[in-house]
Amino acid sequence: MSDPLAALLPGQSDRVVQVEGLSKKYGDNVAVNGISFNLTKGEVFAFLGPNGAGKTTTVEILECLRNPTGGRALVLGYDVSKRSDQAEIRKRIGVLPQDFNAIDRLTVRENIDYFGAMFKQQLDADKLIELVDLKDKRDAQFKTLSGGLKQRVGLAVSLVNDPAVVFLDEPTTGLDPRARRDVWGVIERLKGQGKTVFLTTHYMDEAEYLADIVSIIDHGQIIATGTPDQLIDTHGGKKTLIIRDAGQEGISQLPPGLPKAELRNAGDIAIPLNNGELTSILMSLAQTPLHDKEIEVRRPTLDDVFLNLTGRRVSEEGN
Amino acid sequence: MRSRIYTIIRGHFKSWYRSKSNIFWTIAFPLLLIVLFGAIFGSGSTKFDLYVQNQDLSGNVPTVLSQGYVHALNQTGAFNLHMVAAEQSDPLTFVKNDAQLHNRGQRLLVVPLGFNATVMSGKTATIQLFMDQSDQVSASLRGIVNSVTVSYAATIAGAPDNLVVQPVGIVTRNVRYIDFFIPGVIGMTLLTTGVFGAVNTNGRYRELKIIKKLATTPLSKIEWILGMVGYQMILATISLVVILFFGYAIFGVTVTIDIYTVGLVVAAALLFPGIGMVLANFVKEAESADAAANAITFPMMFLAGTFWPRETLPDIMKIIANFMPLTYVNDGLRDALIYAQPAQALTNTIIALGLAAFFIVLGSLLMNWKEE
Ligand SMILES: Nc1ncnc2c1ncn2[C@@H]1O[C@H](COP(=O)(O)OP(=O)(O)O)[C@@H](O)[C@H]1O
Ligand SMILES: [Mg+2]
Repeated sequence: MSDPLAALLPGQSDRVVQVEGLSKKYGDNVAVNGISFNLTKGEVFAFLGPNGAGKTTTVEILECLRNPTGGRALVLGYDVSKRSDQAEIRKRIGVLPQDFNAIDRLTVRENIDYFGAMFKQQLDADKLIELVDLKDKRDAQFKTLSGGLKQRVGLAVSLVNDPAVVFLDEPTTGLDPRARRDVWGVIERLKGQGKTVFLTTHYMDEAEYLADIVSIIDHGQIIATGTPDQLIDTHGGKKTLIIRDAGQEGISQLPPGLPKAELRNAGDIAIPLNNGELTSILMSLAQTPLHDKEIEVRRPTLDDVFLNLTGRRVSEEGN
Repeated sequence: MRSRIYTIIRGHFKSWYRSKSNIFWTIAFPLLLIVLFGAIFGSGSTKFDLYVQNQDLSGNVPTVLSQGYVHALNQTGAFNLHMVAAEQSDPLTFVKNDAQLHNRGQRLLVVPLGFNATVMSGKTATIQLFMDQSDQVSASLRGIVNSVTVSYAATIAGAPDNLVVQPVGIVTRNVRYIDFFIPGVIGMTLLTTGVFGAVNTNGRYRELKIIKKLATTPLSKIEWILGMVGYQMILATISLVVILFFGYAIFGVTVTIDIYTVGLVVAAALLFPGIGMVLANFVKEAESADAAANAITFPMMFLAGTFWPRETLPDIMKIIANFMPLTYVNDGLRDALIYAQPAQALTNTIIALGLAAFFIVLGSLLMNWKEE
């Protein structure tokens, strides 16, 4: 395969996706507003944001399903806006659309073969079935599967042409926690194989768990990018010391001179922690009646990052 | 590498035969209709159907002798007489349609104008008896009519030779209702499987994001549409074969299969999915597209003469029927399969193919392959 990117941008041929100033307007509605990011080979990149943030619009521009109204996007060095390049992109990408369902009355295996037949070369269906752990459902019709299994069929289908990059648009939305874990397992396996994955999600924990790099998108704009650790360190705020089951009474038993404590959940005391303070606080706690309580230190999460950046929380529904 | 179009055809076909409701609507339901309608309209009586037109009126009243002659025919008890109004200028066509509608034999006896006067003046009056030579009952029926005529002539004029029955062979096949109905059921089945099939594969598959997924692969929109049309052709052929076989096995309906039949099936397999695609693109939600498909197919079925000849419709409906694509498929199939009228079949096939080209092209142009 000749790689036009290598010619254009010497030394940067491991850039799988390059996006610069990308915009998409639907009438007056600016769904994507001048975003820029890169996706490097072998990386799992998560696009994290609430519903309506512009995730699907961006992904579908990269999949050549929608035309950008501004900016530039290259996938594997090919320009998504050029017709001739689009054909090259389609051969090389794997796609799991948001809310995808395979064909109801075809079996798991038949579905993989069906979508595989759209490409010149397809991976062995049985190997893919193994990868997504569906061996005993191989000959079951798609419509008989549970939501989690259906999504795993979708994953297998998205890999059928051995793509150079896989786009997964909200692969776990609507699944129960166990099914989500299973899907995560499959994505981890892809990561282990060195696949390049572009993932969108509105689940903070999903991005934190799976992604090498996270871009947080809100109202069509990227508001932060980095590894989960970098984002948490930069935008997550302070760590919190939790004293379990101490209650209102516990607050009065705290040693003096601590930052302001608050009561959470069923009587947990939460104390914001500044770096380097942990040991001295623990030592002073040992002198109080709270010394036999369970104590833990909680790191901020991407939830806190999003809250700190936007002033809003992303609810379960992603709103 | 298997061809993409073949894969799509096979996918649709598997989805079809694995669904009980699909099998029901494309195969069992048409057969059920045939049995039902065949039973309702097929129970002929043991008497011979005979249409009679008495043209010998004086004022507005039949003359005495002509009236007496009809009465004598009726007295035999051998006939179910069906009177045709004297002012009916084309009684043969009228009888053809009416007989078909009521599943009666196509036989017409015409008492000529001047019958009364001719007999009174002692001259010979000629009564015409139109019937098909191949009509199984033709010999016995003619025998009864002859003997009634002779004895009537003898009674009124004492001269048995004064009345002559002139048999006139008519070329039309003696088409029973079931012969008429079978092509209609085929047309109806092609209509419903085509329209609903396209609504399903282009509406529902869109909702399920299957089309979106396919659009990210090297598959092109044209290949997708060709796959759908190919599948519809297979389905149309199956419907045709099953219904014809059933009609032959149960009701002895024999048909002529010719190039026009093939042309009409091809046209139907493009035309009705084309209409379905146009629908699916105007009504985006699969559910409402289904309702819209019902709203279009049902009236079309009735107006296009699926169950009854269009001649029996009120005039305004006849005009509307001319705009129903199914009309040309139904008519063409009847011309080709039953009436063996190649010239008319050709006209209908050409119109159906023209409509097919129009709708499939329109449906394809309207269809959004990529951006929603
Ligand atoms: N086809 C479309 N036509 C008009 N507006 C759209 C279309 N698709 C998305 N939008 C709008 O663009 C914004 C971003 O949508 P989307 O990309 O689907 O967000 P996300 O995937 O992050 O939930 C939303 O305001 C949405 O209403
Ligand atoms: Mg989305």
